[in-house]
Amino acid sequence: MESVLALRGLVLLRDSVEWEGRSLLKALIKKAALGGEQVHILGCEVSEEEFRAGFDSSINSRLVYYDLFRDPLNWAQTGEALPGGPLGALQAMCERTDPGPVTVALDSLSWLLLRLPCAALCQALCAMSRQHACRGGGPAAGQLCVLGLLHRELHGPGPMGALSSLAQTEVTLSGTAGQASAHILCRRPRQRPTLETLWFSVLPDLSLDLQGGPPLESQPHPDPHTPQVDPASHLTFNLHLSKREREAKDSLTLPFQFSSEKQQALLRPGPGPATSRIFYEPDAFDDLDPEDPDGDLDV
Amino acid sequence: MAAVATCGTGAGSTGSVVAAGSKNNVTSFQRRGPRASGSDSSYSRLVSIAGTRPSVRNGQLLVSTGLPALDQLLGGGLAVGTVLLIEEDKYNIYSSLLFKYFLAEGIINGHTLLVASAKEDPADILQELPAPLLDDNVKKDFDEDACNHKTAESNIKMKIAWRYQLLPKMEAGPVSSSRFGHYYDASKKMPQELIEASKWHGFFFPEKSSSTLNIEPCSLTHGYIKLLQFIQNIIYEEGFDGSNPQKKQKNILRIGIQNLGSPLWGDDICCMENGNSHSLTKFLYVLRGLLRNSLSACMITMPTHLIQNKAIISRVTNLSDTVVGLESFIGSERETNPLYKDYHGLIHIRQIPRLNNLIYDVSDVKDLAFKLKRKLFTIERLHLPPDLSDTVSRSSKQDLAEPSKLLGPGCGVMAGGKKHLDF
Repeated sequence: MESVLALRGLVLLRDSVEWEGRSLLKALIKKAALGGEQVHILGCEVSEEEFRAGFDSSINSRLVYYDLFRDPLNWAQTGEALPGGPLGALQAMCERTDPGPVTVALDSLSWLLLRLPCAALCQALCAMSRQHACRGGGPAAGQLCVLGLLHRELHGPGPMGALSSLAQTEVTLSGTAGQASAHILCRRPRQRPTLETLWFSVLPDLSLDLQGGPPLESQPHPDPHTPQVDPASHLTFNLHLSKREREAKDSLTLPFQFSSEKQQALLRPGPGPATSRIFYEPDAFDDLDPEDPDGDLDV
Repeated sequence: MAAVATCGTGAGSTGSVVAAGSKNNVTSFQRRGPRASGSDSSYSRLVSIAGTRPSVRNGQLLVSTGLPALDQLLGGGLAVGTVLLIEEDKYNIYSSLLFKYFLAEGIINGHTLLVASAKEDPADILQELPAPLLDDNVKKDFDEDACNHKTAESNIKMKIAWRYQLLPKMEAGPVSSSRFGHYYDASKKMPQELIEASKWHGFFFPEKSSSTLNIEPCSLTHGYIKLLQFIQNIIYEEGFDGSNPQKKQKNILRIGIQNLGSPLWGDDICCMENGNSHSLTKFLYVLRGLLRNSLSACMITMPTHLIQNKAIISRVTNLSDTVVGLESFIGSERETNPLYKDYHGLIHIRQIPRLNNLIYDVSDVKDLAFKLKRKLFTIERLHLPPDLSDTVSRSSKQDLAEPSKLLGPGCGVMAGGKKHLDF
C-alpha cells in the first residue's frame, strides 16, 4: 500500500461533487512536506488563507505558494504576479524549483483546463517533468511529482482522456455510505497498469487514515471477480434447456416411432381437417377421357 | 491460392533465390531470378538493398515490419513508399512494442532510421529496442532437424493429411534467421554497439518548437509543419529520392512517428470534437506524397481511441495505406471472458493497400489475437476453447419436430417457431 502512495510523475486526483478531493490533496501535500521535499502550490480556485488553513505553521512555512486566485488577469499591476498568465506561471514554477524531490500541487487542474487550450496544457505538463529532470540530472521518474486536482463533472471525455493518457497515476475518488474510497490506476512505462482500491479518510489535522476495507455497515462489497462470461450464452442455437423445454422434450414421441397411440390414430377414420382435398371444376376446354384421366397415354 | 504461395515462400527466400530450387514452392508460377549478365539492371539494383525483397504477387519492394507474423498478414511485408498506421491500444503497451520492433528491424538490416516523437526523446527510444535472436549456430541445428523430419515424414504426410499442407502456415516461433524478417527477444535490450553503428535521425518535438501557443485554424499545426520539413530535408540530403545519383549504394529510410495526433504535438483532435480537424489529415496527405517519391517506409502509431470525432478516424484510415488496430483486454470486460483467456488482445487488420494491383492481398483469417510471451510477441488465430462442461446438452431432433407440427402439414417452410434455431 505504501508503494502505491509513493506517487511520482503526473498524478490526477479526479473528484466529483459528492466526494471532494481537496482534502486528499492537502493530506498528500502534508505528507510530502513532512518527507522533506520541496512543495510548490499553484492556487487558483480558493484563496491562499483558505488553502493554508489546516496546515500547522511548520509546514506552512515550507510551502511555496503562487496565487492566481486573487488576481488571475493581473489587473492590479502590482508587479509581483507571474508573467505570461497561467501558462507562464507553470513555467516559472518549474524554473524556480531546485534539483531534488519536488512536489507540485495544482489546485486545480480543472481551472487551468477551462482557461487554456488543452494541447498547450498537456505540453506544459510534460515539459515540467522533463526540464526538472534535465536540471536535476537524475532519472526523470523519481524526482518530480505533479498533483493535479481535476473535477470530473466539468470536462468532457476528450480532455479527460487526453490527460489520462499522459498521467502516470490516476486516483478516482468515490465512496459508499460516508466512506471515501480511492481507485488508483498506476501506469508503469512498460508494464500492465495496476488498479487498486483504498478506503481512506482524511483526519482534521490532514493526515491520511487508511482503512483495510469498506465499512461494515455499508452494502456488501461487490464481488471483485466479475462472474465468468459464458461463451455459450449469445449463440443463435440453444445449448442449455430450461425446465419447461426439457419436459417438453422428454414427453415428445418421435415421428417414426410406432407407439400404441399412433396405431389407434391410424385405425380410426381420420377427421376431416387432417386430410386435404382438391376441388376442381372442369371448364369448357377440358376434355377428360374417363379411361385416361391423366392424359398421358399416347393414343 | 496465391496467398498460400506467398506464405509458403515467405520465410526462407529472398528475392534472388525465388527461382526454382526452393523446396517450399507450392505453385508452378515462379519468378525468374536476375540473370548473371544482368538483363534488367534496375531490378537487380533494387533487389540488392539489404532487408528488402520484391513481393511475389505484384513485384512491389517490401520491407519487414519486424514481426514475421505481421508480415504474413500484410501480404509479405510493408511496401516501400507506404504508411503503416497502428491504432494504439488503450494503455499504449503493445503498440509501442510494435514500434520498437520496426526500428530494431531497421537497425539489423542497416537501414537509416528517422524517429519522431513528442513524448520521449528518440535517443531514449533507441536504447529500449529489443535484442535480436541471432544465434546462428542454434539456428543451423534447428534447420537441419526440420529438414530431416520433413524428408522422413513427407511421404506419410501426403497420404494421410495432405490437405493440411494447403492451410496457411502461421509461424509461431523462430524458424530461420533469414535476411528478411528477424525475431526479437523482448526481454533483452539491443546491444549498444549495434545502435551506435546504425545511422539515425531523431526528431523530438519539444526541442524543435519555438513557440507553443500559436495554433492557426484550418492549417497544419506547428508540430506537423516542422516534422514534414525535417523529413523532407533528410530525404533530400541523404538522397533517398534519387536526387543524388552519385550514391551507388541505395538504402531504405525507415520513418517511425510515435503518438501522432496526441495533444503533445499541439493537435487538439483528441481533446475536442470540433478541433483543428484538418491538420492531421493534411499531414498524412503530404507525408504520403513525400513517401511515394522516395525509398522509405513509415510506421505511425496513433491514439485513435482518444479521437472524439469518428469521421476523422475514417478519413485518417483512407489516407493511410495499411491500417492495423490493436485492442488489448486490459481493463475491459473481455479479460474475464474464457474465450480470450489465453490472449492479451485482438489485432484487427483494418485496411490493406491495393498497390499496382486490382485485388487486395487480404488473408482469409479475420479473427486474430496476439499474446506477449516473455520473449516473443505472437499473433495467432483466435480459437474457441473446447466446451468440456457437463451441463451442455445439444438440442435434439425432437425440438425440431415440435414447432413443425404446430405450423401444419401443408407448410413447407422450415420451423421458425419459438426456438432460436439456425442452421
